Amino acid sequence: MKKWFSGIAATVLLTSGLLAGCSGKTDDKAGQGAGNAGTSAPAASKEAPKAEKVKLTIGSWRTEDVDAYAKIIQEFNKTNPNIEVEFKPTKNTEYNTQLNVALQSGSGPDIIHLRPYAAGAQLADAGYLEPLDSIKGLSSFPKETLLAATGSNGKVYGVPTVFSATEIFYNKKIFQKYNLQEPKTWDELMQICETLKKNKVTPFAFGSKEGWILSLTQGALGPAFYGGTDFMNKVVSGQTNFKSPEFISSIKMMKDLTPYFPDNFVGIGMDDMRNLFVTEQAAMMVMGDWEIAVMRKANPDLQMDVFPVPPKTAGGKATVTTWVDGSFAVNAKSPHKAEAMKFMDFLTTKEAGTVIVNNLLKPSTIAGIQAQDPLVAKISKYADTQSTPYMMVVYFAGGNPTTKGTLENTMQGMYQNMLTPEQVADKVQQSADTWFKPKK
Amino acid sequence: MKKSTGAIGWRKGAVHLFPLPALVVYVLFVVYPIAAAFGYSLFDWKGLVRGNFIGLGNFVSLFTREPFNHLFWNAFGHNLYYFAIEMVVQNGLAFLFAWLVYTKLKGSGFLKVAYFIPRLLSVIIVGFLWKLILNPNNGVLNVLLKKVGLASWAKPWLGDTHTALTSITLVNSWYGVGFTMLIFLAGLQAISGEVLEAAKIDGVRGFRLIRTMVLPMMIQSVIIVTVFTFIHAFEAFELIFAMEGSQGEPYNSTDTLAIFFYRIAFGGSSGGDSVAIGLGSALAVILFLIIASVSALFLYLTRNREVQH
Amino acid sequence: MNSGKALRTVQYALAYLGALISLYPIFLMLVSSLKTNIQILKNPVALPTKLSFAAYEKLWKQIPFGSYLTNSILVSVLAVLLILLLGVFASYYIARYQFRWNGALYFFFLLGMMIPIKLGIVPLFMLMKNLGLLNNMGSLLSIYTAIGLPISILILTGFFRTLPRELEEAARIDGCADFGVIRHVLVPLMRPALGTVMIINFITVWNDFFFPLIFIQDDAKKTIPVGMMSLFGQYSADWSMLFAGLTLASLPMLILFILASRQFMDGMTAGAVK
Repeated sequence: MKKWFSGIAATVLLTSGLLAGCSGKTDDKAGQGAGNAGTSAPAASKEAPKAEKVKLTIGSWRTEDVDAYAKIIQEFNKTNPNIEVEFKPTKNTEYNTQLNVALQSGSGPDIIHLRPYAAGAQLADAGYLEPLDSIKGLSSFPKETLLAATGSNGKVYGVPTVFSATEIFYNKKIFQKYNLQEPKTWDELMQICETLKKNKVTPFAFGSKEGWILSLTQGALGPAFYGGTDFMNKVVSGQTNFKSPEFISSIKMMKDLTPYFPDNFVGIGMDDMRNLFVTEQAAMMVMGDWEIAVMRKANPDLQMDVFPVPPKTAGGKATVTTWVDGSFAVNAKSPHKAEAMKFMDFLTTKEAGTVIVNNLLKPSTIAGIQAQDPLVAKISKYADTQSTPYMMVVYFAGGNPTTKGTLENTMQGMYQNMLTPEQVADKVQQSADTWFKPKK
Repeated sequence: MKKSTGAIGWRKGAVHLFPLPALVVYVLFVVYPIAAAFGYSLFDWKGLVRGNFIGLGNFVSLFTREPFNHLFWNAFGHNLYYFAIEMVVQNGLAFLFAWLVYTKLKGSGFLKVAYFIPRLLSVIIVGFLWKLILNPNNGVLNVLLKKVGLASWAKPWLGDTHTALTSITLVNSWYGVGFTMLIFLAGLQAISGEVLEAAKIDGVRGFRLIRTMVLPMMIQSVIIVTVFTFIHAFEAFELIFAMEGSQGEPYNSTDTLAIFFYRIAFGGSSGGDSVAIGLGSALAVILFLIIASVSALFLYLTRNREVQH
Repeated sequence: MNSGKALRTVQYALAYLGALISLYPIFLMLVSSLKTNIQILKNPVALPTKLSFAAYEKLWKQIPFGSYLTNSILVSVLAVLLILLLGVFASYYIARYQFRWNGALYFFFLLGMMIPIKLGIVPLFMLMKNLGLLNNMGSLLSIYTAIGLPISILILTGFFRTLPRELEEAARIDGCADFGVIRHVLVPLMRPALGTVMIINFITVWNDFFFPLIFIQDDAKKTIPVGMMSLFGQYSADWSMLFAGLTLASLPMLILFILASRQFMDGMTAGAVK
């Protein structure tokens, strides 16, 4: 009978011992701070006697860029051989959840790939990031660029590395076949669409299933209708708002493009859009530069090129829409802040800029860096000379739900024929009214 | 202490150790986190930082502030719809299949296995698989419809506000029908065959037999299935997340309370959205109250039934 | 009698149509994974003329499927064992003793079935961190055990209550203590109920993706569903890869089921409803 009692005791002990055993093993990790350092901590301490290697982790949402970052880290290690850096991305849709949960409980990666503008500032304001006052290289960055990683106290918390730029991609082969040229005005663009449609080629690979595509496309094409940067400055300073006829006309234009979208476009998401474009079923796609690498991988024979969005009137300026895609910040709870700062320093150098441009295939935030890839070089040139900011991302990604999200959501409603362009504009303004204060 | 069969003193005490490990694990990892989340709902949060105690302020905003109030009822309606479709389609079919298997069709062993197989997949896998099948251009469903001359039936299933939520609930029914069928089957098999034979001899057949004899006798299974379906419908998250993301797209037509929670508590999937932990936690509390009160009611009904037996 | 025959025909038609709809998508997944991407996009319905294993070869090189599989097996088996162990003791106590608090205790456990635990993910994460269980199988084992207990206690308690008390009394007279009663008398009788608890929990744990997503960071420690998910970001244009990934993620469970489908099916219900 005693045996059975000790049996129970053993069971309880076993259970608690199992938990205790696990926690005992990991306690030292927790002690070191970054829960995310996970296995890396014991690994690092094992190597400790040999060389004083420190291991940093980078959290990011760019699962597609693992190889590119390996090259960037390699460049970093040329000057910092004792800092091991691991790039650990999480799927785009899960990154925010995982990062927020980790930061709230005081852990997370040493280096954080920061979403640009409002979302990044939120992390800075919550005190999760280390200010980058000591990073000298940042002084040469223009203020608008640094805005992407500036907290509400005016301090800079991240190093922006690349721009994103949206323009119109087109299939050169299809354009040649129907004898089409890069358009110089909006009317020419519409004529191209007509010609393509007559020949049973879908003019635009586009779909409204995923909301972000809608604000992205409106952000790229819209400036031609609402008057680009000038209009944006007026909205930001409070001289006009989204209910103005200019903005409504940009939403109406989106609706008027419907005949040039593929069948069932309301059910089409990014993957299907890309498929339509790379399989040459659609001739054009309004898209960001980050898709270049993906599309080349999907169809290496695809002959594509880009043109900026043509102006509404002849003589106007064609535009590409740009914004900082993300920046790198240091986790305030990182046990290796000094090393992480070295990485920040590195990111502001020309050497880093060059490796980044040539591996990520995106325009650099550092002026005067030449891309090897002709397409990237072309986009970089546009981004330097005729860009307009992505208004929704740069200034209107605040509020809950965000004003940007409201635009996406209501445009989805518009394509389902449930809202008119005017109603879309109304709701967008309503959302902005809940939080946005004009900057005079 | 009414009954402890001849136990000696120390053993009496030792017996209380029986539920202890389970209780500790359960309280620590289920009860505590949810209680802590309840606590969050009473504070003002600035992004990720906890601010002042504001009592029921978050609850008030949830029901009075645009667009939250509107989104809440929108999502709530979708949860109800989810429940209704699952009750009718999934559980209706499950009962039909259970009855067919029970009547010993040829190959009923195979049928049982076939109905159950989808349940073996991970929900996230089910979501991705059906997303491919329902793809508007290359998906098998639309291609098949076109092949059999029903091209006009081909739709952007997941992109049209009229079909998106229904498509998802039907996929959910596909996934869940086998499990429910098994519960019904067990209920059927517990009914004594003699009673049914006697009824048949009396000329009670077909639907009347099912309605007047079979269903009342397996009311236990029906209640269990209803409770499970209700809980499941109000927790609906993973499948929608896999198929439509966290925005309840298109145009809020697939938004449910759990998706809405995820979006406001974690800031959506596409990146830019801000986070409202207080509001999210308030929503969590309400969701819990809905699920707990309704299922407690059902469980209470079950208890009554047991007494009646 | 003719109408009886017609009815029977309708019954067969319905039953087998249902089976077809249940199986076809899974069949489609298997078949598509053996086609090339072009074949799938050109004709998604057709059977492959030539089997292509290219997608699997690529998958095998890209992802550590072996370690995902090992992790999934370890986590599922250990979690199920823990649930059984803790569940049996708690249920026995609830069903067989009549202390004042037993009703409340039972209800308290059942409440767990109604808790949408995902809503408590932030506090849960902090707890795991404080316990040092992050990025560690311990976090998964503890959460799965905790969420598996309510339904297991429901089933097991229901089952204990149906067992005639005389059995135990007889055993007690023979000199078995409480623990002995559980082991020698009840456990053998309980096989069906234990089987049910085992299988329900095994399927749930095996297929979960939410908790490993939040708690596990190292690729080498991920379980199958969450490990395979990253594929969907990377290969969104390559349907052949997607189908192969889905198949690979589902295959272990499907094989296990086919090998032991009888035990599965019996187990699923035997203990669930008395």
